[in-house]
Amino acid sequence: MNIMKIVGCVLVLVSSTGMGFYFSNEMRCRIEDLKELKKLIGLLRGDIRYSSTPLPEAINSIHRRHSGCFQSFFNYVSEKLNELSGHTFLEIWKTAVETELGSTSLTKKDKLHLMSFGENLGYLDKDMQMNTIDLYINQLEEVIVDLTKTVKEKSYMYNTLGIMAGIFITIIMV
Amino acid sequence: MNTKDELLKILSLKLRTILGKLTLDFDKLQEIRLRMNAPLLIIYGNKEAFITEDAKMEDNPTKAVLITKNEIRETMEYISNYSLYAFEEEIKQGFITINGGHRIGIAGKIIIEDDAIKGMKHISFINIRLAHQVKGCADPVLPYLFHKQMPGIYHTLIISPPRCGKTTLLRDIIRQLSDGTVYHTGMSVGVVDERSEIGACYMGTPQNELGIRTDILDCCPKAKGMMMLIRSMSPQIIAVDEIGSREDLDAIDYVIGCGCKLIATVHGSSIEDIRNKPILCDLVKKKLFERYIILNNVKGIGHLEEIYDTEGKRLYTDAK
Repeated sequence: MNIMKIVGCVLVLVSSTGMGFYFSNEMRCRIEDLKELKKLIGLLRGDIRYSSTPLPEAINSIHRRHSGCFQSFFNYVSEKLNELSGHTFLEIWKTAVETELGSTSLTKKDKLHLMSFGENLGYLDKDMQMNTIDLYINQLEEVIVDLTKTVKEKSYMYNTLGIMAGIFITIIMV
Repeated sequence: MNTKDELLKILSLKLRTILGKLTLDFDKLQEIRLRMNAPLLIIYGNKEAFITEDAKMEDNPTKAVLITKNEIRETMEYISNYSLYAFEEEIKQGFITINGGHRIGIAGKIIIEDDAIKGMKHISFINIRLAHQVKGCADPVLPYLFHKQMPGIYHTLIISPPRCGKTTLLRDIIRQLSDGTVYHTGMSVGVVDERSEIGACYMGTPQNELGIRTDILDCCPKAKGMMMLIRSMSPQIIAVDEIGSREDLDAIDYVIGCGCKLIATVHGSSIEDIRNKPILCDLVKKKLFERYIILNNVKGIGHLEEIYDTEGKRLYTDAK
């Protein structure tokens, strides 16, 4: 019976510590993903600014040049846009945000920002596109800066909380 | 992709379904006209026809399907590839060229800034003009273009009223001169395609056949483009459509001075007509061109009426 208790305690400790590490790692990954997204939106900006490239072509070129976790997202948008299947740009963009970002560490809030970024893409003139993209890049930059400032403390907190929670639950169980 | 697919893809879902069911010979289809709150209209075999909801051609407009604001908005989204900003310059000129070389004329509310057209909003009228190449239409003209004494061609001006086939003729002349004919081996041709009408380039690829030795400067102002081509691509022949401004004439002087041969088109009905126009009269007075080809639509679009030499001597006539 004691052996079972010890095994149970060890399992609880390991899993809660693991959860702590998982959350702390997710936060680091989120920063990396946001940086990557910012870089890709920068590429989109360059394509539109330099040669007024239409969105399907610009997004397709990002998809071809990028092999990270956003590849399936841009691939989906580019394919659907080229199909001219009767859906608006916003519909395609929203579906892609909802379904194709599973492998990233973006939070719900990040995804909402990305969705609303798509609302004004393709609309009106080049200046409007530049403003929309610049606004989103600034928004991303702010989130990245905020996260980077607190990442050390927060990941330490997550790790410690994980271990402490494990110990706490074990004590209660015993 | 064939013409039918190319066209249907740019229409709204509803119009796509209706026109998809319609049994049409797309070679005879000339225009599709969408006007907000007006019936769907096509020009088919030089005749107007209204299209009904159950995909039938009718003469009576009251039976036709009405175009709504949504159809126009959706169609514009597909025409512009979800990217209206990418067609800012084209929209200022009132047309967009799509895959297949088809030209979409648009009209709506014009936005003016500093006395210049800045853009267009509330686009409510769309005219889809189908591109048709007529290969071989330059055959009767070509023998008159080649120099008798030395290799090469004469500086040639095609004069024609609108919709009489001058661009189609120019396109076929370019193709044949570039590929080579029984009269001459192929020559390198530079085309300044200011309105994307000659080559109908889509994402840099010409949709019309312009020959294997042809370089195209797409959407480039004619005067600047002619200079650029001479410096960069060393063409033997330069071809431009619809000349008319003072800058064009200065560039033509430069081209001719450089030893390049020039083929150009101009709106008009005769050499006299050109002589009476304020800027273009210089072309005739200075005897810059050595051949004048006059087209009209008396016996059908692209009818070759007359060919003159630089002195005004008639070399060919099919006039009554």
